[in-house]
Amino acid sequence: MTPGPKQRFDAKPIRTEGLVRRVTPIAGWLFVGLFALAALVVGFARSEGAVEVAAIVLLAAIGLVAVVVFEVVRHATSAAAVAKGEADALRQRDERLALTVGGASVGLGLVDRDGRWVQVNDTLSAMLGRTTTELLATTLVAVTDPAQASQLEEQLAKLRDRGASRWEGESRQVRPGGEPFPVALTITAAATAPGVAEPLFLVQETDVSAARRADALRDAMVAVRHAIATSITWDQAAPHALSAIGTKLERDTVQFWAVDAERDALRLRHSWHRDDPSLGDFDRACRELFVPPGQGVFGRVRQSGVAAAIKGISSVAEPALTVPARKAAIIEAVVCPVVSGGAVTGVIALLSRRASDVEDDVMTMLTTVGSEVGQFIQRADTNQALQRSEADHRAIFERAPIGIARISATGDLLEGNDALLKMLEHDLATLRDQAWPDLLRSYDLAAGKSRVAPLLAGFSDGGIVQVRAATGDGRWLWLQMTATSIPDASGRPEHVLVMVEDVTTVREAQDKLAEALDAQRSANIDLEKLDRTKTEFLSIVSHEFRTALTGIQGFSELIRDGGLESDELRAYGGYIFNDADRVNRLIGDMLDLDRMESGRMSIRMADVDINEVLSDSIARAVSSNTVDFKPDLDPRLPIVTGDRDRLVQVVSNLVNNAVKYSPEGGTVTISSRAEGGYALITVSDTGLGIPPDEIAHVFERFRRVRSGAAQSIAGTGLGLTIVKQIVEMHGGKIWVESAVGHGSAFHFTIPLAVEAVTPALQLHHA
Amino acid sequence: MSVTVLVADDNEVAQRLCRRVLEKAGHKVLTASDGLEAVALALANPLDMILMDVAMPGMDGLEAMRLIKEKKPGLAIVIASAHSMASDKERFLAAGADDVLSKPFRLTDLTAVVDRLTANRTPQ
Repeated sequence: MTPGPKQRFDAKPIRTEGLVRRVTPIAGWLFVGLFALAALVVGFARSEGAVEVAAIVLLAAIGLVAVVVFEVVRHATSAAAVAKGEADALRQRDERLALTVGGASVGLGLVDRDGRWVQVNDTLSAMLGRTTTELLATTLVAVTDPAQASQLEEQLAKLRDRGASRWEGESRQVRPGGEPFPVALTITAAATAPGVAEPLFLVQETDVSAARRADALRDAMVAVRHAIATSITWDQAAPHALSAIGTKLERDTVQFWAVDAERDALRLRHSWHRDDPSLGDFDRACRELFVPPGQGVFGRVRQSGVAAAIKGISSVAEPALTVPARKAAIIEAVVCPVVSGGAVTGVIALLSRRASDVEDDVMTMLTTVGSEVGQFIQRADTNQALQRSEADHRAIFERAPIGIARISATGDLLEGNDALLKMLEHDLATLRDQAWPDLLRSYDLAAGKSRVAPLLAGFSDGGIVQVRAATGDGRWLWLQMTATSIPDASGRPEHVLVMVEDVTTVREAQDKLAEALDAQRSANIDLEKLDRTKTEFLSIVSHEFRTALTGIQGFSELIRDGGLESDELRAYGGYIFNDADRVNRLIGDMLDLDRMESGRMSIRMADVDINEVLSDSIARAVSSNTVDFKPDLDPRLPIVTGDRDRLVQVVSNLVNNAVKYSPEGGTVTISSRAEGGYALITVSDTGLGIPPDEIAHVFERFRRVRSGAAQSIAGTGLGLTIVKQIVEMHGGKIWVESAVGHGSAFHFTIPLAVEAVTPALQLHHA
Repeated sequence: MSVTVLVADDNEVAQRLCRRVLEKAGHKVLTASDGLEAVALALANPLDMILMDVAMPGMDGLEAMRLIKEKKPGLAIVIASAHSMASDKERFLAAGADDVLSKPFRLTDLTAVVDRLTANRTPQ
């Protein structure tokens, strides 16, 4: 407890006074006693008569008084010296204390029980912006922010009532015409001097506005960092960060202006303002603005990258904001740049309706905020870009219309997208465990065929392979698989991406197209062949006709010119007739063949006894030929189904050929038997035979065997072609066996009548 | 003027017709029924002209003509063929024929070609 300085200065040397006061009565009484003793002795002496005894006693009394007086004076002198020394020391101490107290950075003062200032030091008067005199004329409560007055009065009352001896707290004081400022306040009940009824209170005040501002700056910084740390994007963090700055630093509105790259201007992107309609209006006005580079404090800060503060928003400082700022009564702006990636991407503006001390620490703090926000924006942008990219790739993977599989370097399916699962009609597990290994094998198989590297060779990039694969539902698809290996940092394939496309439709269309093209090509070939055949046919036919006509025209010319013998005439007539007949047959055969080949010839199916047809043919041939006929007919041969006239044509043709190509005395054998539901008929001769190279062509038109002795044998060259057509129209077959010099055997089959196939009927027929 | 003509034709009727017409005109006629026979006769006999069919069994007329022309380049050979399209005529001339007679022919055409090709020639 420190006693009041004034009290000290007024202290008296009270110890000297006290000593005199205490010694004086003793000396008095001692003097009175001695004087009484002397008088008693004098009286006795008169009676006894001893004047000398009274004088001695008186002398003793005087001596005693002298000793006492001397002692008192000596004592008083020494006490005064001590008191003076003490007083001097005290004064020195008080002076030192006064110097200390007067020069203390802490405001100190004494108030009485009503709170009236009794004493104040210079620091306090400076702090409160008043002279000592002014201060002593007022009270502690009067210099306190009215909002805090009641709290203070309450505390003072407690102290006054001795409910407490000390109060320590925070309050706000006001300077005349100034803003309230925070103080740390301690009030202590001072020791009361004896006899002084009025208690005094020692008031100790410290201006904590700097500390508070530092705290506010720190709190604002912490809040901004918190906002940033708990957000993903600046857009998310900005409202929290701006409001934190605004409230902690006690601004009316805090704004973030971002550079609009398109217009190369600053635009208000985020803002916070105190709840006040005129600030809302200001905010709306700001949102309409585009601040070009270099214009006003915003533009300048953006251009320079250095924080700036202005007081009084004039048209020079921020022309576009003059009117709205005036309406909102904003007079101060502190603007700091937000720097991302080395460029100013925006500014943060702190706007205020009252001028504040914009100290370096505020600017430093704001610059730090700007830089941290800038870094965050950059980081967030990068993150966002990464996330977007990642999300994009995810989306591509997941929503791609083609199947995508990610497989390990050992071929295990790691991932398959929905399209793949849907395409293959499998769930992921089945696909991974069953279908995928199959698919890999198919890939490698197909790759081998088209000289593409196996899937896991690591160099299969760009390898496109089409494989046939069954889906889970058993549908068969054509899949086009494209493999791309994704290398790890060392360049080894880490995993492989396989795109799987369902190209079934395309492939089938291609196949159909290829088929159609093939068909077209072969049709073209057929057509060309047909064309060639036709030309050839025409050439052969015209040759045949002209050959026949040579005789007809020549001999008829001879006859016409006359002068012929009758036997000559007859012979020439015969030649003409034969050639004419040949031409006729040629025409008939050609027409038959054309009708058969174009499918316009109808055959009238009926039950035919093939043995009867054979017998008739033999009978006709025997009459006009020089060969032996050897029929070998199976009497049990069932009836066949066929067109009798056409079958007669077949048999006659074969028999005539056999006869034609047989030498005189040769044998023509005609046999029939049933074999496997068919009647098998053979006409063999012992004739010239067919050379091996011609056997394959005997049934082609105009392919007459004309070598050697066969050359003179006439024919249209269409007979066997027609025979073959007729046999095939009946559902049978015809073929030939032959050896040159040994003869030929022509075989043909005709289906047995359906009911004839049953054994019972065969029996009946027999 | 009587000349000797070889008629090579596999068609008997054509052979007879040619023989009848040429003999009537006073020429001497030899006949062959295929190319091989024609070559043999042509090389064995002095001839003034050959009337050669093309489509004959075995060796055809063109091959026979080539062989004969190798030995007797001066011997006139007339191709008488029922292959009588325009392209055929070109083909025969290109193969070395002295003339081409298309079948069927007018009898006077036959005698005329013989007369024309045998005039001022010696038998070969």
